[in-house]
Amino acid sequence: MTTKGGSTRRLLLHRYRRGDAEPHIEEHDVPADEGTTVLAALRWIQLHRDPSLGLRHSCFHASCGTCGVRVNGREHLACVTMLADHEGTIAVDPIANLPVSHDVVVDMQPFFARFPDQHPIVRASEPLPHADATDAADGIDEHERFEDCIECGLCLSACPIAATDATYLGPAALAYAQRLLEEPRGTDREAILDWADQVNAAWGCHAAFECTEACPSDVRPAQRIMALRRELRRRRRRQGREVPEPENGTARP
Amino acid sequence: MRGSRGGRERDPGVEEILRGRRGEGPISRKAPGPVAWFDVRSMTTGHLAFSIHRITGIGIVFYLYLHLAVLSMLLGGEDAWSGFLELATTPLFLGLDVILVFGLLVHGLNGTRLALVGSGFVADHQKALFWSGMAFGAILLLYAALHVFTAGD
Amino acid sequence: MTRGSPHVLIVGGGGTGGALAHDLALRGVRVTLVERGEFTSGTTGRHHGLLHSGARYAVNDAESAVECIEENTLLRRIAPGSFEENDGLFVGVTDEDMAYLPGFLEGCEATGIPTQVLQPAEALRLEPMLSPDLKVAVRVPDATMDAMRMPLRFFATAKANGADLLNWVDVADLELAGGTVSGARVRDLVTGRTTRIGADIVVNATGPWSEQVASMAGVDVPIRPSPGVMLAVRGRLTNMVINRLHASGDGDIVVPQRALSVVGTSSWFVEDPDDLGVPADHVQRMIDEGSILVPAVRHAEFRAAWSAARPLIGSREDADSGRELSRTFKTIDHAVDDGVEGFVTITGGKGTTLRGMAEVCADVVCRKLGIDTPCSTRDTVLLPHTAAYAA
Repeated sequence: MTTKGGSTRRLLLHRYRRGDAEPHIEEHDVPADEGTTVLAALRWIQLHRDPSLGLRHSCFHASCGTCGVRVNGREHLACVTMLADHEGTIAVDPIANLPVSHDVVVDMQPFFARFPDQHPIVRASEPLPHADATDAADGIDEHERFEDCIECGLCLSACPIAATDATYLGPAALAYAQRLLEEPRGTDREAILDWADQVNAAWGCHAAFECTEACPSDVRPAQRIMALRRELRRRRRRQGREVPEPENGTARP
Repeated sequence: MRGSRGGRERDPGVEEILRGRRGEGPISRKAPGPVAWFDVRSMTTGHLAFSIHRITGIGIVFYLYLHLAVLSMLLGGEDAWSGFLELATTPLFLGLDVILVFGLLVHGLNGTRLALVGSGFVADHQKALFWSGMAFGAILLLYAALHVFTAGD
Repeated sequence: MTRGSPHVLIVGGGGTGGALAHDLALRGVRVTLVERGEFTSGTTGRHHGLLHSGARYAVNDAESAVECIEENTLLRRIAPGSFEENDGLFVGVTDEDMAYLPGFLEGCEATGIPTQVLQPAEALRLEPMLSPDLKVAVRVPDATMDAMRMPLRFFATAKANGADLLNWVDVADLELAGGTVSGARVRDLVTGRTTRIGADIVVNATGPWSEQVASMAGVDVPIRPSPGVMLAVRGRLTNMVINRLHASGDGDIVVPQRALSVVGTSSWFVEDPDDLGVPADHVQRMIDEGSILVPAVRHAEFRAAWSAARPLIGSREDADSGRELSRTFKTIDHAVDDGVEGFVTITGGKGTTLRGMAEVCADVVCRKLGIDTPCSTRDTVLLPHTAAYAA
């Protein structure tokens, strides 16, 4: 990291070891320039001040979704968030509504536990600008691409319902279910609709839209939840169903 | 990540590490429930609407009980009721009436927005729907306030 | 010797470590893996996500090319759903590129990499964002993976088969007892506590950190951390992987990654793999070279720029720039090479060859332990990556 024409920024870092009575905040002054990311600053602290600092990261380009943190209270991916975009001191905390493992690292097991039990899909890519989709050469009928969702958990952290209701399955899982309905690729549509048609699933959202605001990958989970509800209502009209109660009031495994 | 090992012994060091990590760490939290409803600093539009809807909703429920209590004064006869009406036409009380109208307008207009958005239509325009609803409500509120304070003049 | 069945301790939770844990777990070996950060956080997770066809090495590094194309085919079978199987193009833009073409096609033929030569019009129909000045394009079986999630499937499967995979555990030192590595002193970063893990064999799978860990056992491994810069821009400019049809150079690959395009890469050497830096002139080079292939790169919105260190095999006396060193991989049994028993290093390689590296290393480890169960990773379909997070 360079400090050419740079400055010093003060980070207020959430520190915690399993077994501590409570977390504490550590102040660190970090050299930074206009391109320094939150992740680069945290790694500087790890390299020059405290090698025991727990940091989650992998891809450095908003693809793996592991570096989610809260910067001054708002959810961001540390690898693409510039210190220069925030004024004053920079508080770095773990994302919310998940158990803290240590420092700014959370345990993602409860995040993934909310997802429906259907395998990840590789979806059809959109036609590129100016492309004529009908002219695909032989052997490639349809380009594939990964889902936008990078499983970062920022949406779950931002959701005010998830903050007070541990049973609410949350935006990521619901948005994922809606994607499966859009493009099933062999998954079980009825099972997904059953899974979603619960008070703690599609009907648990209260339209705060913070998930869509927080999402770094343009998934628009809130809009997808509303689309999911449209599907569920359509199905109900067809079948005249009542809402089944959740089995034991806890989040689905 | 702890695997299932079908009864084979673990190295004591590994066992110690797993034991130290047993259970869940503390849940990372922002401010709790109703307190969070009032912290509008970092709220985006939809979240603001969500909080306002809850606050006005509780307010309206509170008003409902108040209203029933007031109506029960009718049982006390004409004198009791007239006494209440005198109080009810004081500026302070009229001001509270305007606040009530504000709450009803916000909750009703936002409620309409929620019904539309929650049905899967216009979810992409939820911000515009909120602010235009509030703007419309502001006009209605002005009209209502004028009438509340000048009716009978 | 520890009690009960033999215990293998893998140091390093990158793709290699994960694939090795998976291979050994399938053979019924008791495995513990320790990784000081998040899995794949060292180098594996940072690459652009290319599932190599091997064509880049077809001319100068036939050994790597063959390894790549074999593993490429295999991985699609054992990790279905983890790849965007859209192929890749080697695009020739200049006369020098065209001069490279015959040797390129021969090299691919010799190493078993299928190719298809396309005229510019066909290439542009497939990929309209390519430079209109392109002279030729050769289609090869490149594919795109998520650099973290695909390897994570090895971790998920290993865990389900009984391996203990401990992230956030840092190796402070290796333990030696009379010239034999007998375990490691480790620190759990979650609790802050230090403890000791005993093992019959410790495997050093730390990639660019191989030398650092090896020195804890008093041995030297010829690994030079060689970083390269990558640049991600907004916009999925192509669906196929786009390569420059020339001998390896900077900025000669553009890889789609979800709604981004990643341009890579460059090459230099460092001493400390923890402190790579992101040289601004290298980033500029990515823009300049990348836009020769896909002009839209030049004005696309910046998303991220970062560095990742390759673990290149070669001593200090070897070639100047990182590229000339081979991208093949190596298992080093330190009992044979250095007289230190109980310690094996697996290093070198590429993201694409993780399974193959693990197979060779697992064979060595099992031979040392007197276990003759053969490898079964070629035919074992991996669990989805989300299983790595199961309780």
